[in-house]
Amino acid sequence: MICCKECIDLLYDYFEGSLDQDTTQSLDEHFQECPPCVAFLNTYKVTTVLCRDTLNQIEIPDEVRHTLKNFLKEHKNE
Amino acid sequence: MSFTQQKEDKKAEELLVRDFQAGNLEAYDKIAKLYQKKIYALSFNLMRNQMDAQDVTQEVLLILFRKINTFQGKSAFSSWVYRITLNASYMKLRSKKKEPNISIDELLPSFNGAGFQQEKIQDWSENTESLLFTNETREIIKKAVDLLPEKEKVVFLLRDVEGLSTENVGDVLNLTIPAVKSRLHRARLFLRKKLSGYFGASNSKKGEI
Ligand SMILES: [Zn+2]
Repeated sequence: MICCKECIDLLYDYFEGSLDQDTTQSLDEHFQECPPCVAFLNTYKVTTVLCRDTLNQIEIPDEVRHTLKNFLKEHKNE
Repeated sequence: MSFTQQKEDKKAEELLVRDFQAGNLEAYDKIAKLYQKKIYALSFNLMRNQMDAQDVTQEVLLILFRKINTFQGKSAFSSWVYRITLNASYMKLRSKKKEPNISIDELLPSFNGAGFQQEKIQDWSENTESLLFTNETREIIKKAVDLLPEKEKVVFLLRDVEGLSTENVGDVLNLTIPAVKSRLHRARLFLRKKLSGYFGASNSKKGEI
């Protein structure tokens, strides 16, 4: 069986589906027998989603939008 | 977004850029409109300050306006805009004193000599739903991202938050694809560990990040 470290090192490619079949299979086999790694991979996956959903909600505040609009108007007439 | 849609958008964008290069100001307005949110969001996530992000956005929009003819179309237009945005943000950050980042190595997973998991790993992936939409959780997540070392943070923001492809991130940062992947993986490991301190402990008592 491959060790936990090898699995975690390959986690990125595992999720991207870019590992060859044999390697994917050895990871799957490892995960079947290793609850800590399953916990790790679940939380790795959810971390990405949580961070993305939190940070891509950023909107330009109205006052900034207003400032930008005036700024552009001014500079286009230079 | 479908692949065909993406291709169409890219084509429309190239056309806008060419129109603007030929002096069409309406094309510039459209480009500014398409990009100002992206520019603002990336600079805000890097600096976490509204005034600074506004300054950077203005500066970048101005550079796009004045220097459009230096864009030669060798890489994607979006890569060019992101690169300018990063440079402007870093200039701004450098002018301020900032706290030293924690070393990323401290927060990478640790294994025993045989390469097996050493610490107790809690699976908190099911706990997050109820917590996701509270302000407290959002602050925790932002704080964790702010603590990322600069090299990993920028890759994480471009790839996972802005949704650029691995290739485009390499293009913006002048990195090879394996380098992009390895930084992104480290960023995710770091964030996982940071968030574990919070979510993992939140069943019993709130963990400090
Ligand atoms: Zn394991």
